[in-house]
Amino acid sequence: MPTVTIDGCKVRVKKNATVLDAAKKAGIWIPTLCYHPAVSCDASCRICMVELERGDWRQLVTACNYPVREDIVVYVSSERAQQARRGVMELLLARAPESEELKALAERMGVKETHYPKVTESQRNCILCGLCVRVCEEIIGQSAIGFAGRGVDRTVAAPFRQPSDDCIGCGACAVVCPVGTIKLRIHKDQQEVEISPFKSRAKLLLCRQCGAPVVSVQVSEQVMGKVGLDCEEFRERVRLCPKCRKLQSAAQLASAPIRKKQ
Amino acid sequence: MTKLCGKRLNNHEELELVREDLLKHRNSGTKSVCVCVGPGCAAKGANRLYELFCEAVRQSDSKVKVEAKSVGCHGLCECGPIILIQPGDIFYQRVEEPDVAEIFRETVLSDRIVERLLHEDPSTGEKARSPDEIPFYKAQNRIALAYNGLIDPANIEDYIAAGGYTALPKALTTMTSEEIIAEVELAGLRGRGGGGFPTARKWRSCRESDGSPKYVICNGDEGDPGAFMDRAIMEGNPHSVIEGMVIGAYAIGSSQGYIYVRNEYPLSVERLKEAIEQARQWGFLGEDILGSSFSFNIRINRGGGAFVCGESTALMASLEGRTGEPRAKYVHTVESGFRGKPTNLNNVETWTNIPPIINRGGEWFAGIGTEKSKGTKVFSLVGNVVNTGLVEVPMGITLRRIIDEIGGGVRDGKRFKAVQTGGPSGGCIPSEHLDARVDFDELTKLGSMMGSGGMIVMDEGTCMVRVARYFTEFLQKESCGKCTPCREGLAQMLHILNRITRGEGDVGDIEELGVLAELLEGTALCALGKTAANPVLSTIRYFRDEYDAHILDRHCPAKECRGLFRYEIDAEACKACGICLKNCPEDAITGEKEVPHVINQEKCTLCGICWEKCPFTAVLKV
Repeated sequence: MPTVTIDGCKVRVKKNATVLDAAKKAGIWIPTLCYHPAVSCDASCRICMVELERGDWRQLVTACNYPVREDIVVYVSSERAQQARRGVMELLLARAPESEELKALAERMGVKETHYPKVTESQRNCILCGLCVRVCEEIIGQSAIGFAGRGVDRTVAAPFRQPSDDCIGCGACAVVCPVGTIKLRIHKDQQEVEISPFKSRAKLLLCRQCGAPVVSVQVSEQVMGKVGLDCEEFRERVRLCPKCRKLQSAAQLASAPIRKKQ
Repeated sequence: MTKLCGKRLNNHEELELVREDLLKHRNSGTKSVCVCVGPGCAAKGANRLYELFCEAVRQSDSKVKVEAKSVGCHGLCECGPIILIQPGDIFYQRVEEPDVAEIFRETVLSDRIVERLLHEDPSTGEKARSPDEIPFYKAQNRIALAYNGLIDPANIEDYIAAGGYTALPKALTTMTSEEIIAEVELAGLRGRGGGGFPTARKWRSCRESDGSPKYVICNGDEGDPGAFMDRAIMEGNPHSVIEGMVIGAYAIGSSQGYIYVRNEYPLSVERLKEAIEQARQWGFLGEDILGSSFSFNIRINRGGGAFVCGESTALMASLEGRTGEPRAKYVHTVESGFRGKPTNLNNVETWTNIPPIINRGGEWFAGIGTEKSKGTKVFSLVGNVVNTGLVEVPMGITLRRIIDEIGGGVRDGKRFKAVQTGGPSGGCIPSEHLDARVDFDELTKLGSMMGSGGMIVMDEGTCMVRVARYFTEFLQKESCGKCTPCREGLAQMLHILNRITRGEGDVGDIEELGVLAELLEGTALCALGKTAANPVLSTIRYFRDEYDAHILDRHCPAKECRGLFRYEIDAEACKACGICLKNCPEDAITGEKEVPHVINQEKCTLCGICWEKCPFTAVLKV
């Protein structure tokens, strides 16, 4: 087990753990945007830059994917590392000036505002971290969205920027989006959920009991398939919203005969 | 001819028999007309010349045996189309269709020289009969391009007769993998694609890496503007690349190779395909190569035209069928590259250097060049220079010798301003550093880099801020957009440079560019982003006064940035012809017969039509 010294704090981590893992263990915060423990690492946002000691010189590396293979010394709060992270944040703020989530992170990093003008177009403050794309591909297995265009024209989109048939309306992309670009919109009258801004729509399953939307029909079908528990009771429970499911469980518990100690 | 010719060769001895036969056949008085069909000559109609020579050969009833062959780039593209006649090394330049009959009649059949087609030294007026006498070739040392322009790239027999495929049997039968790597190490060969990483070290790391299978890749995704070194090799001598790759694969322990060529090079793809097919037929590729029990295959993949795919990890992603985007290289590709397996990637020119190193020894190769940069380097010499073309020079030669001796100096008698090396991520080197030696570390010290070998000469009429803007724009367009600093940072830099060249620059812009440059260098994901600020940094370093003139005086000293200079009519030179007056779309010019004309600066929109139209160059930029 190699030892990582982060800002003077020593922690031992498993071989090939990342600097970010080590920092978490040491209780040192490093800002992240494109990192999520559930999906593979892309290291594209560059907000987690830290300084690595290399003999007589130091190198900036991304904490989220730098593998620890031997004893290393890392500086998170050195002047150069902070400047690098703040510089990247300023560029992101210039791109996505209206994102409240981004502004909050900037403030935590000590960045009050950006001095750069807005020169690249972003789709509703999207910073192109790619978490939505990776979660859709790696966790959901649908790949309904992907990157389109190159360079400053890069965007996240469904094929041909049309509503995608592959989208099952699960909303995982909205959950992982760190800047609030992706939103779920419930269209009650059509009983549909829309993944905005991709315009994909999916039919909603309504709670048998109260009529509140539960999940999309396709998601419930996929869950049934994945769990492989084909019993009537389970199927019934999936058709209830979480609140009604709780109530039903409570009712079942209450009406169950009390077992006496033997 | 022996029966072995064209058949699969089973061992070294059979190959030598074939070679002897080929040489005997060739030395029996056949004359060959080598027509250069490299990119430059082909653009000037060399393919038609080749057809005409073929026709002439067919129709000739002379007893002299003649063959016409199309060959790869000679290098002196400026003077194309080029024709070389063997034996005798007679070098004709700027050949046109009507000259074909004369050359055939006089030189080929009657051994007489056509004087007017010979190359003439512009300074001395001396005519040169053979390439060795031309100053352009004198200072060169051709190793990678040794057979370019002499052999028919579509004919493996030509390559074998010239001494090709001698290194391969030597490596396979007399050397161990470690001995080959040691030889390359002794040679001191460093990657020619730009990085300059020691080739032997890369090979060894890949060889010692766990994981199987192992892959070798040839990077032929040459994307630098104005560069055509790799293209010339792939189209002029494809077998040298293949031979190098087989030797490398044997040393590394790989059985599958890939050549990644950009799709904009259709002829390179065709030549390589032919060459691979021929090599397979003859037993230089495939199973049990030359009876050595070593097997190796090569596949060609075409790139879709993204500059960033020349970066090794992006290239591998593209090869796997994914989007060509780079990934972090904290785990090197020699450990986990193509399909997550150990992969060794080298540039075309690097592979081409392998056979001569094996043939003549690492010591010989290391005898050329400087302490840390050995051998030669091919450059495509372009821009405002007299002799544009492809040159191969020993490392350590000064920039001045390349530009003045080989390149023949700056065009149109203008003054030299800067030379840009290293492709779009390189830097501009000013005249005070012209005596710097061309070597990996020396160029880096000057704020530029070796790169893959682009060399653009710029004269006094070039605005350096515009040059920086041009390369920044190129890189911004070619950035894949994956990482924030490259995507957003380059856009910010371009925004500032656009303002400066429009005359809207602010005090503090230069410092801001410096901050962005540092951010890019430190935080970008791949080499494209990390080095993208070089053009800006090097021009600020050497031509700060030009930036200041743009920002503080709203003036472009080179008079290239529209709006940052004025047009005026030189009263003495003006013949009052009225052409400018008639052509001015804004009626901003006044004047009468025999009275020098005047531009009304308030009305003038700086369109430059008067400057273009004036037959007496009386319109000046001031």
